[in-house]
Amino acid sequence: MEWSAWVMLVFGAVVLYGGLGICLAIAIKKSRGNKAQTE
Amino acid sequence: MEIKRERWSSRPAFIMAAIGSAVGLGNLWRFPYVAYENGGGAFLIPYFIAMLTAGIPMMILEYGLGHIMQGSAPAAASRVDRRLEWVGWWALLVGTMIVLYYAAVMAWCWVYTWQSLKALVGGIVGSAASVIPWGDSPETVSGFFFGKVLHLSSGPSELGGLSWPVVIGLVLSWLAVFLIIHRGVKRVGRVVLITVPLPIILIIILMIRGMTLPGSIEGLKYYLTPDFSKLKDPSVWLAAYSQIFFSLSLGFGILIAYASYLPKTTDVNNSAFITVLANCGTSFLAGFAVFSTLGYLAGALNVPVSEVVKSGPTLAFVTYPTAISKMPLPALFGVIFFITLLTLGIDSAFSIVEGVVGGIWDKWKINRTKLTAGFCLIGLFVGLIYCTHAGLYWLDIVDHWMNNFGLAAVGLLECIMIGYFAKPSEFRRYVNSVSEIRIGWWWDAMIRYVTPAILLYSLFMGYVQELRVPYEGYDGWALKVGGWHLVIALIIVAVLLSLSRGREVE
Repeated sequence: MEWSAWVMLVFGAVVLYGGLGICLAIAIKKSRGNKAQTE
Repeated sequence: MEIKRERWSSRPAFIMAAIGSAVGLGNLWRFPYVAYENGGGAFLIPYFIAMLTAGIPMMILEYGLGHIMQGSAPAAASRVDRRLEWVGWWALLVGTMIVLYYAAVMAWCWVYTWQSLKALVGGIVGSAASVIPWGDSPETVSGFFFGKVLHLSSGPSELGGLSWPVVIGLVLSWLAVFLIIHRGVKRVGRVVLITVPLPIILIIILMIRGMTLPGSIEGLKYYLTPDFSKLKDPSVWLAAYSQIFFSLSLGFGILIAYASYLPKTTDVNNSAFITVLANCGTSFLAGFAVFSTLGYLAGALNVPVSEVVKSGPTLAFVTYPTAISKMPLPALFGVIFFITLLTLGIDSAFSIVEGVVGGIWDKWKINRTKLTAGFCLIGLFVGLIYCTHAGLYWLDIVDHWMNNFGLAAVGLLECIMIGYFAKPSEFRRYVNSVSEIRIGWWWDAMIRYVTPAILLYSLFMGYVQELRVPYEGYDGWALKVGGWHLVIALIIVAVLLSLSRGREVE
């Protein structure tokens, strides 16, 4: 595969799975914070 | 008498259900082909821009609308402006038309799953039934699908009889939908814990299998090698926006209904981001499973990859099964592939039915189990049209109109509803007040100007195209019955439903 195909592969993976990871991390952090507050 | 609104058991249950609704057959059989057709890896650029400027804003709009109004699509639209209730009903009716043929596609999956299972069990016990029945050349596989499964006639007017294996599959599809949703969203929340991760795990298995086959890299080259010159072509951008809009289950009213079962303090914005990214991530992943296998198939048939690249039912029921039959352990991978399709389809199907049942319940408070049973039975009988020998033609026509005109028009009306009948800045302030991620003024601009402009352009271009060339060369009367007449009939029914009196229970 050409290098440009590899670049697009990494670009797609970083945007989609990186973005998803960040959003999930925010959700988990907030939910833990809320739980701690309730307790 | 007070009737309490149902609630999701937890926020993850809601997010999983929403992802399940968004992730469907299109992620596997449409996205990889659209990407390949529109610049390969370069398509990711317009696709991500479409995701940020239309997908996420529209998802926030639908979640927010359900969350604020605590009602399904018609109730929510009516609470924005009484005159707009019909928009909600139209969304549900368009969804109903789609689920009728979606169940038929799942019926084909049941047929193939059964055939693969028979071959797998036959292989284990060493009986003669161990051979995959569709053969291993494109001709025999095509003959099996169009001949033995569908008994395809020569045109839409030649209905012929019913294809009984497909009828049995259709019964199974509707039975599954009924059993999952008749008890309400709490059960849905439990079912999606299986039906959402399972197809993703199976796609990963198929991807690993595909990428370890000879020739797979050749296929991936077609999928990922960017052609940046294509980005100058407006049709590529339109394809990106269409793919985003249609793959997210927007415009069906499903997500409005799902969000209406959320408690008032639950996050909206971050849930929308997670749903959209998970959906697009699944599409991207599916591309590897599909193109690696197509690369292998091209090598096995000694033809260029471009000759085996297909989309839609032809990819799922002809091209991919051909590749499967050339792999070692074809029956096992047949079972894995068709269970992937079934689990991808089932949560999209029941989410549409849930949206409709929720809409009717909100207005008339009919017993939920009876309502779901009635809807599924009607769906089964009307869906028999897709089990006839001309079923595929009608499916193709209705799918074309509902997707290209029905859903796009509902999306446009939703944007107008929030952008012009409600105050988008107040809407934004509300969703920000309950959310983990705050959205800025850009959201107002997307909902008021950008998304409606793109949807309007898409509708206009579609209309011009219809005037120029009849879709797929079908007869004019068939295109009218399954197309324009159906779209207009749905609007009339939606208006009548909005004018009818509901049952007032508070």
